[in-house]
Amino acid sequence: MPTVPSTRRAFLRMLLGEAGGAPRRDVLVVVYLRGGADGLTLVPPHVEAEYHRQRPQLALARPDHASVTATDRVRDLDGRFGLAPALDPILPLYREGLLGVVHAVGSEDQTRSHFEAQDLMEHGVPAAGGGTGGGWLGRHLRARPGPQPTALSAVAIGPSVPEALRGAPAASAVESLDDYRVAGESGARLLPALALLHEGGDPIGAAGRETIEVVKTVERLRGEKYVPGNGATYPGTAYARALQEIARLIRADVGLEAACVDIGGWDTHFFQGNLTGAMSGRMAELAGGVAAFAKDLTDRMDRVTLVAMTEFGRRVAENSSFGTDHGRASVMFLLGGAIAGGKVHGTWPGLSPDRLADRGGEPGDLAVTTDYRDVLSEVLARRCGQERLAAVFPGHEAKFIGVTRG
Amino acid sequence: MTATRRQVVAASAGAAVLAGCDGFWRWASNGLGAGLPDSFTPPAGPETDPVHHALSRMAFGPRPGDVERVRSIGVPAYVEEQLAPEALDDVPCDLRARRFESLHMSAGNMQEWKREVAWRELARATVLRAVYSSRQLLEVMVEFWTDHFNIDTAKAECSVWKTPDDRDVIRRHALGRFPDLVRASALSPAMLVYLDGRDNKKTKPEDKPNENYARELLELHTLGVHGGYSQRDVMEVARCLTGWTVDTKGWKRGKPRFSKWRHDRGPKAVLGVEIPASEDHGERDLDRVLEIVTSHASTARFLAGKLCRRFVADEPPPALVARAAGTFSRTGGDIRAVLRTILLSEESAAARGARLKRPFRFVVSALRGLGADTDAGGPVLAALERMGQAPFQYPTPDGYPDEAAPWLGTLLWRWNFAVALASGRVGGTKVDLSALARAAGDRGDLGAIARHLLGRDPSAVETRALGQVLAKAPDERTGRAEGVGLLLATPAFQRF
Repeated sequence: MPTVPSTRRAFLRMLLGEAGGAPRRDVLVVVYLRGGADGLTLVPPHVEAEYHRQRPQLALARPDHASVTATDRVRDLDGRFGLAPALDPILPLYREGLLGVVHAVGSEDQTRSHFEAQDLMEHGVPAAGGGTGGGWLGRHLRARPGPQPTALSAVAIGPSVPEALRGAPAASAVESLDDYRVAGESGARLLPALALLHEGGDPIGAAGRETIEVVKTVERLRGEKYVPGNGATYPGTAYARALQEIARLIRADVGLEAACVDIGGWDTHFFQGNLTGAMSGRMAELAGGVAAFAKDLTDRMDRVTLVAMTEFGRRVAENSSFGTDHGRASVMFLLGGAIAGGKVHGTWPGLSPDRLADRGGEPGDLAVTTDYRDVLSEVLARRCGQERLAAVFPGHEAKFIGVTRG
Repeated sequence: MTATRRQVVAASAGAAVLAGCDGFWRWASNGLGAGLPDSFTPPAGPETDPVHHALSRMAFGPRPGDVERVRSIGVPAYVEEQLAPEALDDVPCDLRARRFESLHMSAGNMQEWKREVAWRELARATVLRAVYSSRQLLEVMVEFWTDHFNIDTAKAECSVWKTPDDRDVIRRHALGRFPDLVRASALSPAMLVYLDGRDNKKTKPEDKPNENYARELLELHTLGVHGGYSQRDVMEVARCLTGWTVDTKGWKRGKPRFSKWRHDRGPKAVLGVEIPASEDHGERDLDRVLEIVTSHASTARFLAGKLCRRFVADEPPPALVARAAGTFSRTGGDIRAVLRTILLSEESAAARGARLKRPFRFVVSALRGLGADTDAGGPVLAALERMGQAPFQYPTPDGYPDEAAPWLGTLLWRWNFAVALASGRVGGTKVDLSALARAAGDRGDLGAIARHLLGRDPSAVETRALGQVLAKAPDERTGRAEGVGLLLATPAFQRF
């Protein structure tokens, strides 16, 4: 195990690279929208006639629609695309240039299966299969130059470590920082014995050692009540609390490099509810959390990048139960001081039938024009010090599309 | 047992009113065999005891005295006994688990129940049965099928309809024939809601079927994702199943029904088999589809692989999977026959400690190992939730993952539960460690309890760690609690 520097100052020194000579890197926060989020509702292509034609019940009104109240209309971004009204909390971030969008982004996955698509995307391997183990974020942490990751380098807020972080040198799943202790007064007596029991080279031994490292590190952080910066208040949902814990770890300078948080509920086959209902609730939750996170960390945004992604988008045409079925391309959101924000990136394929992706003999899905790995590669290379992209995304030749500021 | 049962039932009529609640049933249950034995002999030797291993896989781990009993009849006889659960007396468990009223309600009546109450009763009953039932293999298979046909109670009516699904689909067919199980699941009100089957319809020419259930039927329930079906097959299956729905209101609420007006009556083709436009309004399309998919060779391989993973290893031996798939195909999906092939195999016997317990198994095996007296109430359920495996709360249709990797981040919560349980700090749960030590013939060094919990002599490292904890403890009682907690926190106790 790498030794954890005993003081915060030592940590900072290590991160600043005084010891290893590597430049300081961004903390990368990955928000995963599980279930296949509908990019055409998150960022509607409001000028497209096909969008309104294929979605008679679900399309959101154009920004200039005269007979719909302004609050229910799409918020225009660039004359072509807009944000759903429920995403209002992040609209100022877009306008300030901190938030960027990539549209028509996705993976090679053709199965339209949640599990296959999430698996493929989190492992970051070619659809044809590849022998590389672990997830893309795990491989990044192993392959990037610089000092050894610490016990708190990679954290998943939630009950388990997601596939993307699998194979990271040290990845912990925590629900909240306050939880991370060995129970009661027995802890002090038991910890040395637990350490002795977990000296083995098997996965449980390794996991036990990592756990003990994190317990010791967090022990030092505890006792300080967390007050978010700039008067930011996080919504009360589990997902927003998770973002707050991440912000807390970032502020505490404990060596965090990558954090993962999930937000579920995007599998909207049935009564999608874009203005009021399921989808709108999820969007409001997503945006409320991101906005609070950005406000909290205003003074640190130059060293933070947040990526929100999903396994696939949804079919262009709505189904008969006022929902949408699994499709191909969706959107990604990027937040951070170094993000080329205020812009919808990517190549728009269009929604006319001849431009749609094929689904079992008939066209029906938004085509993927940007590979998600291109976006992540650019972030990792330009912001997270990765020099060996081939080790992170095997078999993929990355093409940067300019989501970061040079 | 009959006389005893009659006495208990007679006594319960009056006493239950007096006792009012939990206490009486727990007392009666303990009296009828769910308590600690007076004495038992834990396994010994450097290698994991083969009977201890068998009970770790086919049951949720041994309770005090179980290893001796199974050793006396032999593992093959134990397998046969467990494959015929209806012949096993289960009164001590029933006294604790069957008294929850909602477990006996029809789907229609369940709609009167509060969703939190329905979930809590079902979750408690699930833990209680896993801990106390003599029909352990049945409970292990219930857990397996609950994941295989996962339903998240967070979704709409699933909150109350999972209860009849658990009873009429999962438990009823857990050791039956696979095709019957799939059919029951296809028409389960909870499944019709969970995977949107109830909204899968074609009433107008432009209607597109909702393919959610069709996809998971092929991908997760039968053929497996690489089972050789196409996107076209998913759509065709969805078309076949149009018209099946379930009402939430009216006198037919909670009963699956077929509406010919919602059915797509055109001809279909599934996995290369033609399903002609039917004369019976399409009601039988369901049976044709299920026949095609459950008899498919990919289904036999997929189910055999999953069962072998559950009972043998994360990466099960291919030869065993092939034999189990052969049994599956030959018997038309006879679950008992497939289990016999797997459980009596050399590969199964050889795979000692090869798997990581998931949190549910960890918690249940700890409760069983200590002979705990638990009501499986809030604190136990909260511990499961903390470790990421609350019953019936997995959000996506693939069920809680079975392999080790996703669960390695839960060690801290396991350690905390282990210490809390052994120290008597899990609410609603009592352990009597001095009685356990006495029954196991422990000499105060926790060596006998270690042999009982680990199924072998403790290793040098385990003995040293145990010694450290005992030496540091302020008193004997604390030392025993923390020592037993440490045993439950050992890497060895996380494996099975």
